[in-house]
Amino acid sequence: MSAPRPAVSTDQIPVRRDVLDPIFRYVAFSAATLLLAVLGGLIVALLIGGWPALAKFGPSFFFSTTWDPVREVFGAAGPIVGTVVSSALALAMALPIALGIAIFLTQFCPRVIAQPIAIMTELLAGIPSIVYGMWGLFVFAPWFAKHIQTPLSGLGGLFAGVPNGANIFTASVILAVMILPYMAAVFRELFRSIPPQVREAAFGMGATPFEAVTRVLIPYVQKGLVGAVMLGFGRALGETMAVTFIIGNSHNFPTSLFSSSSTLASTIANEFGEASGMHSSALIALGLVLFLITFAVLALARWLLSSQRY
Amino acid sequence: MTVNPSRAARRKMVSWIFTGACMLATGVALIALMLILWSLLTQGLSGINLDIFTKDTSAGGLRNAIVGSIMMCLVAMVFSVIIGVLAGTWLAEIGGNTRYGHTVRFLNDVLLSAPSILVGVFVSTILVNPFGGASGWAGAVALAILATPVVTRTTEDILNLQPSSLREASMALGASQFITIRRVIWKAAGAGLLTGGLLGFARISGETAPLLHTAGDNQFMHEPLWDIFGMMSNQNASLPVMMYNFALSPFEEANKLAWAGAVLLAFAVLGINVLGRWLAREKKM
Amino acid sequence: MIDMTTTDIQSVIVPPPADSLVLEVKKLNFFYGTHQALDGVDLPVKRHAITALIGPSGCGKSTLLRIMNRIYDLYPGQRADGQILLDGEDILGPKVDVTALRARVGMVFQKPTPFPMSIYDNVAFGVRLHASKTSAEMDEIVEESLRRAALWDEVKDKLHKSGLGLSGGQQQRLCVARGIAVNPEILLLDEPASALDPISTAKLEDTLEELKRDYTIVIVTHNLQQAARLSDYTGFMFLGKMIEFGPTADLFVTPKVAKTGEYIGGRFG
Repeated sequence: MSAPRPAVSTDQIPVRRDVLDPIFRYVAFSAATLLLAVLGGLIVALLIGGWPALAKFGPSFFFSTTWDPVREVFGAAGPIVGTVVSSALALAMALPIALGIAIFLTQFCPRVIAQPIAIMTELLAGIPSIVYGMWGLFVFAPWFAKHIQTPLSGLGGLFAGVPNGANIFTASVILAVMILPYMAAVFRELFRSIPPQVREAAFGMGATPFEAVTRVLIPYVQKGLVGAVMLGFGRALGETMAVTFIIGNSHNFPTSLFSSSSTLASTIANEFGEASGMHSSALIALGLVLFLITFAVLALARWLLSSQRY
Repeated sequence: MTVNPSRAARRKMVSWIFTGACMLATGVALIALMLILWSLLTQGLSGINLDIFTKDTSAGGLRNAIVGSIMMCLVAMVFSVIIGVLAGTWLAEIGGNTRYGHTVRFLNDVLLSAPSILVGVFVSTILVNPFGGASGWAGAVALAILATPVVTRTTEDILNLQPSSLREASMALGASQFITIRRVIWKAAGAGLLTGGLLGFARISGETAPLLHTAGDNQFMHEPLWDIFGMMSNQNASLPVMMYNFALSPFEEANKLAWAGAVLLAFAVLGINVLGRWLAREKKM
Repeated sequence: MIDMTTTDIQSVIVPPPADSLVLEVKKLNFFYGTHQALDGVDLPVKRHAITALIGPSGCGKSTLLRIMNRIYDLYPGQRADGQILLDGEDILGPKVDVTALRARVGMVFQKPTPFPMSIYDNVAFGVRLHASKTSAEMDEIVEESLRRAALWDEVKDKLHKSGLGLSGGQQQRLCVARGIAVNPEILLLDEPASALDPISTAKLEDTLEELKRDYTIVIVTHNLQQAARLSDYTGFMFLGKMIEFGPTADLFVTPKVAKTGEYIGGRFG
């Protein structure tokens, strides 16, 4: 026998709650839309701000190496090439090392050692880039100028340049150190996502560790690896502070590894505060170029990372 | 299959060289990172004393920069937590699977990785030039734009981890969607949401580029201290911008302050990251 | 520690004729860190026959299989003592070349593990590791292996498509083909049908039936009918011990140890 229970009358449930649902959905939807609006606003602001310079200089804005705020003649080829070259060099340095770290930590290293190293690299990935920049400025650049650049400067060619440590190569090294922990952490996650039985199957065929890694494990996460590399590249392209301190800030077209140069981001950081009129517009146009390059790279990276499903 | 011994020996040697190269890479990276930490400690720790916290940059301290950084980051986080959690919730619980949802998610990822200097330029053109100059508010908005995608992303990820039985159980009791999300989902995901906020906070507290052209710099602390509105409406000092200016200064005293700021900043960011990770770990167990 | 319930059980081993053995496990103990997973296990494996290992989950049957080609070496902290003689040579010795050993003792896993490469490259994978072959020789090996794994007719027109595009059952037979392409003496199979539907399982069993003419097969299964249908010898394991081993027909019809009868009769497990 069940005791008679009072029926729940519908008027005890506050109707107000259900009224809140559409309001809540609307508010949440607005928040999501605000994100789009911000990105849209960013693009529009760059377009409007950069338009006068783009209209005045036309295609030569992208190909001219003259950057002269006094005569108000602006060409972005120097910073564009500086950005792409410094980031590519940084990637070339960081990629093999990051891959080596991730492989060592996931394949060869006992867990007790791997865990602390992994946590350390992940935490170091969060250190502000300006700290890396300061280290470059005060520690690495002077050391490099004295012990590497000066002895090599006599060779000329690729090594020509003022031996003060402020050049495209040192900037790339700092960039590489900065993106290294980040890339190593992403690579490590990818290798960890491989099911253990795939690894066992590779070794079970009699593969050596080298063969298992290069013929099975790396192909297994290939797309993800490429995506992570692109993300690292995107970071390097847009990085401002680590580079500004140390690249030398010359708008000349870089002619050697050791020539001072500039990037899109470093030029904006250095000059935007004092710029006005056409100079300011040219800087915003640089921003637009930077946005387009990073957007293309990041979109490709996201696409590759999201298609990594097995 | 019988194995040719010389071939086996060669394969083994290649593999050992490979293993050695991987170890070497790890060693090189660890040494580089140790060197950075070492410089940070040797150059910076000696500069840390009580004056850093009690005097303004005009008098050889960092008080105004520290307070300015904290203020702008906190204001930014208020904006980005509100907008980020709402947007992340919308993606995870309401509209994430629509076409529009996919667009929002993708463009949020773009915003997440957009160069921070561009955000500075953007905010400068809309909030600095039309309103008569740099201010703490403009700096906070620039930081908020950088932190919001982080909060949005982590909120969505964390909510997606909540079991759908939780939603169903709540709905089955007659709770509306809003009540379910507010009382059940957000509550269950609490620690994770906090982690998202902390990661966003860690990200912006070290940002320099977006502040350079938005918040300006200031040698003095705004007085009185409780006049937050007045402080934010003026040019506002921050640790990263101070470091940028002082590192490039020809005076050794200024360089020293920059290093002291670097130590404070690096350890603050490390601390926030560790706290965030620790909270996330508690949640998993 | 091993559960008390096995200490009073006297294990019964009825080995095949001594001259027909290819592999002999003797007094094998195995440890995951400090946890002992195998306790004095004996297992004689007859050449060109199918040996099945049965027992409730956690009894150590998969562990035993994973020792026979030393795949456990991948995990520090796992260790084995005792003897496993392959053609009279102890494979647990420190001087043993494990890559060469694994070319002689192949393995197929519970879940299909095709590598992210074409069907052809999957089958050729092991051969390319251990030997140099001309492309004509390799073509022949690949076709032969796929035929033996009863997969040739289904894939002969798409040899250069990804192995990941096959169905689960086809993937598992691809793994069998990959395993036999290196012409191993022994093929170990760890619950190879547990992820497959009944039709794919039947095809896989037919394949194994064919293969035993040329290969020695050791299969771990939790499916008693499969063990009874397929195998010539069966070992019943319980709590890390080999409780009973003998010809399959004898073990299933007239078990000599009461525990075996209980398990086969479905009273536990």
